[in-house]
Amino acid sequence: MLPTRLLRSSTINANEIAHFSRLSAEWWNERGEFSFLHKMNPVRMQFIREKLIETAYDEQPEEKVNASKVRILEGLDILDVGCGGGLLSESLARLGARTTGIDASESNLAIAQHHASLDSRLSTNLTYKHAPAESLLSQSKRYDVVCSMEVLEHVDHPAMFLKTCAELLKPSGHLFLSTISRTPLSYFLTIFMAEKVLRQVADGTHTFSKYINPSELLEFFQTYPPSTAPGNTLLPWITRLYDGEPTRKEAEVRGLIYNPLSASWILAPRGAWGAAECNYIFWVRKPALDAMSS
Amino acid sequence: MFTSRLLSKRSINSARRFISTSHEDFDVVIVGGGPAGLALASALGAKQQLESSVKIALVEAGDLSQVQNWSFSSGTFSNRVVSLTNASQAFLKDTGAWDHVEQERTTPIDEMQVWDGISDARITFSASELGVQQGMARLTETLNLQRGLLRHLQSIPAVQIVDKSKVQSITVDETPGSWPLVHLDTGRALKARLLVGADGLNSPVRSFAKIPTYGWSYDTQAIVCTMEHPPKGPFLGPNTTAYQRFLPTGPIAFLPISPTASSLVWSTRPTLATALKACEPSVLGCMINAAFRLPDVSIRYLHDRILEAHKAGKPITDEEIKAEIHWREQSHSIDWTSAYSSVSANTTSSLGVPPSDAEMMPPIVTSIQPGTIASFPLRYNHTETYIGEGQGSRTVLVGDAAHTIHPLAGQGLNLGLGDVECLSSCIQDAVLRGGDIGSYTALLPYTQERYLENHKIMSACDKLHKLYSTSFGPLVQLRSVGLEVLNELDSIKAAIMMSAGSVSREDRPLSYSSDARAAFFDMAAKGVENIGSAAHVAGIVRGGLANLAVTALQNLATAAASSQQEQQRKDTR
Repeated sequence: MLPTRLLRSSTINANEIAHFSRLSAEWWNERGEFSFLHKMNPVRMQFIREKLIETAYDEQPEEKVNASKVRILEGLDILDVGCGGGLLSESLARLGARTTGIDASESNLAIAQHHASLDSRLSTNLTYKHAPAESLLSQSKRYDVVCSMEVLEHVDHPAMFLKTCAELLKPSGHLFLSTISRTPLSYFLTIFMAEKVLRQVADGTHTFSKYINPSELLEFFQTYPPSTAPGNTLLPWITRLYDGEPTRKEAEVRGLIYNPLSASWILAPRGAWGAAECNYIFWVRKPALDAMSS
Repeated sequence: MFTSRLLSKRSINSARRFISTSHEDFDVVIVGGGPAGLALASALGAKQQLESSVKIALVEAGDLSQVQNWSFSSGTFSNRVVSLTNASQAFLKDTGAWDHVEQERTTPIDEMQVWDGISDARITFSASELGVQQGMARLTETLNLQRGLLRHLQSIPAVQIVDKSKVQSITVDETPGSWPLVHLDTGRALKARLLVGADGLNSPVRSFAKIPTYGWSYDTQAIVCTMEHPPKGPFLGPNTTAYQRFLPTGPIAFLPISPTASSLVWSTRPTLATALKACEPSVLGCMINAAFRLPDVSIRYLHDRILEAHKAGKPITDEEIKAEIHWREQSHSIDWTSAYSSVSANTTSSLGVPPSDAEMMPPIVTSIQPGTIASFPLRYNHTETYIGEGQGSRTVLVGDAAHTIHPLAGQGLNLGLGDVECLSSCIQDAVLRGGDIGSYTALLPYTQERYLENHKIMSACDKLHKLYSTSFGPLVQLRSVGLEVLNELDSIKAAIMMSAGSVSREDRPLSYSSDARAAFFDMAAKGVENIGSAAHVAGIVRGGLANLAVTALQNLATAAASSQQEQQRKDTR
């Protein structure tokens, strides 16, 4: 267990960590407790891949972008916050990223480390650390991409957590988050059906009041970094919304919809009505240095 | 605490454990160098997107250089042929392998004639009817395809061919998720992220993965050989029609491979197959001609004669069988000018105006190419899943290792190539998303897409075989109604041809075969229109039980008509 000293100064919730530590041996059982996450992983990776290709096309001459290459993340430093058993971290590393997975549960990390050791190709660019995200702030290392998938709904102070993730990014870095909306539909699907009725997810995995709506994330980054801070001349990460939607270059919200008939997740199109009522994935970009100082 | 348990290793097959000390890592190890295994290696290797991120090994017990250097003089053909549907051809063209298949040794099938052995009810499928340009399928020797695939693999560095190597054992550590290790008799050991079983009916990979399989053997042997015949006469068009007659003992098929040679696939009783193989080859030639032409009662008589002679230890001679056939032809008043005559018409077959109905019969077989007569037992087999789990995880089955099928529709290899196409694109998707291609999640779409698709075609072929292997009167009448009705219903025919794969798979979205559904609705719509004409056809058939069917169909027609009227009434309102 984590020393209590660490817990006080971080966003980590001790009960949540205990819950996931109990389940840790199950992480890589693709038919078990975490089967939903296993199936969601390819869709999350698809979104990350497509979004990075999209920004590459925006910033580079077309002929320089090789959208079909496998190791699309080659040369990038990526931090996976709350990596759990390493589902996402392994995929990121396979696409060439120098990946660091961090988690607050030691047993999760042991599982992640052990599983990665089974794949000889992962040894070069995948490392795991037992550390809360906040502890990385004191180091000088910053990342091109920070991912935190299905974590936000388990942390204690989401605003502080978001701030930490944001600060760990290099200028022009990408932040990817996936989480669950706080809606009647999400209560019905993720808690009532998944945990209580079908029991496909362990009871107590989710807490409804901790769910966060896409609009709340958009709102957060519209006022981040806070302009009230002394001497702050920086623009917020999201400068404007049109009909509640951010512009394509600043942020994006996409619904993740589970199709029980094909037992797979679908990445809903941008702006699809009602798609983000339950699970969704969120992307926001840290402004470049010149934009920040203007 | 858990690490000590997880890390303790126990080999499943401990006796083999110490044979090889070091191993090589591969992303994909394909066991089996048959057409399915080779096609998978070439499809994966040809995917340029995958670059060097997928390292492939193909393991085969036999010597593949013999296949690669295989050559036959023109005019002689190997006895194992495959019918490649347009979907399969499109896939092979896509991967680039088709360019290496010798085109002179392939023949398009423009028409198929299928008829019932007892009632002679007949259906004709033709490519032009379907609007397909270059035939419904293309026939070639299996060796020609295998050689083409091997030549294609020559240009692909990502694929390592490990031939003359038998799989001795497959072991795995107890740790969940660890990679299976394939031990070869040469002392090499290959560790596989994904182990593909393309190793046929008695698949070692399948038994390692403990994937249960379900099936039965038909009490049937398939006789194959290469038949020689004169070119088709001046008014009959090229030799691009496949013929198949459903005899109660099993279907006999005549598959063209060149203007003067065709391939035989004759499914029949094992005892008859043994007796026929014991005779001189010309006896088989005579029996093939007779089997397409004489009424069932005479064929049964001839079979009995051959079996009796075989039992007596004196196989029937060429002269004896000719005399028997001649006598049977006379008793059915088939004279020497008729298309149904085989013995007496021998000398005149390519002269002058062909007799009427000549296009309904295959050319007359004059000889069998030496050394091509062979036979093999037929089985139906389908595994319960295509993906291994638990100790057998990281394994996947394709082709005959997953399913074997009656050859009556020539679909066996096409199903296998369908598997290969789907699995290779499934692997590509997983790689591009950073997935572990050996994982259950990455392979699930493959089994989801292929299992039902294969099962549909497999059970259709199985039911057809069982339906036609009876001479029980009422059933014969019902099934000939079935065939006549089929001939009337273009939409059903199109649906059958679609499932037979004459439409490219490329035109369909990967996850749902929407065209099949469209065809179904089309068929259902036309079906209502055509129930009337079906009842008309059924009315022609006499016999007590058939009348029952007629009544049922007429009732249906009345119901359909009244529902149509109701619909019209609603529309006018």
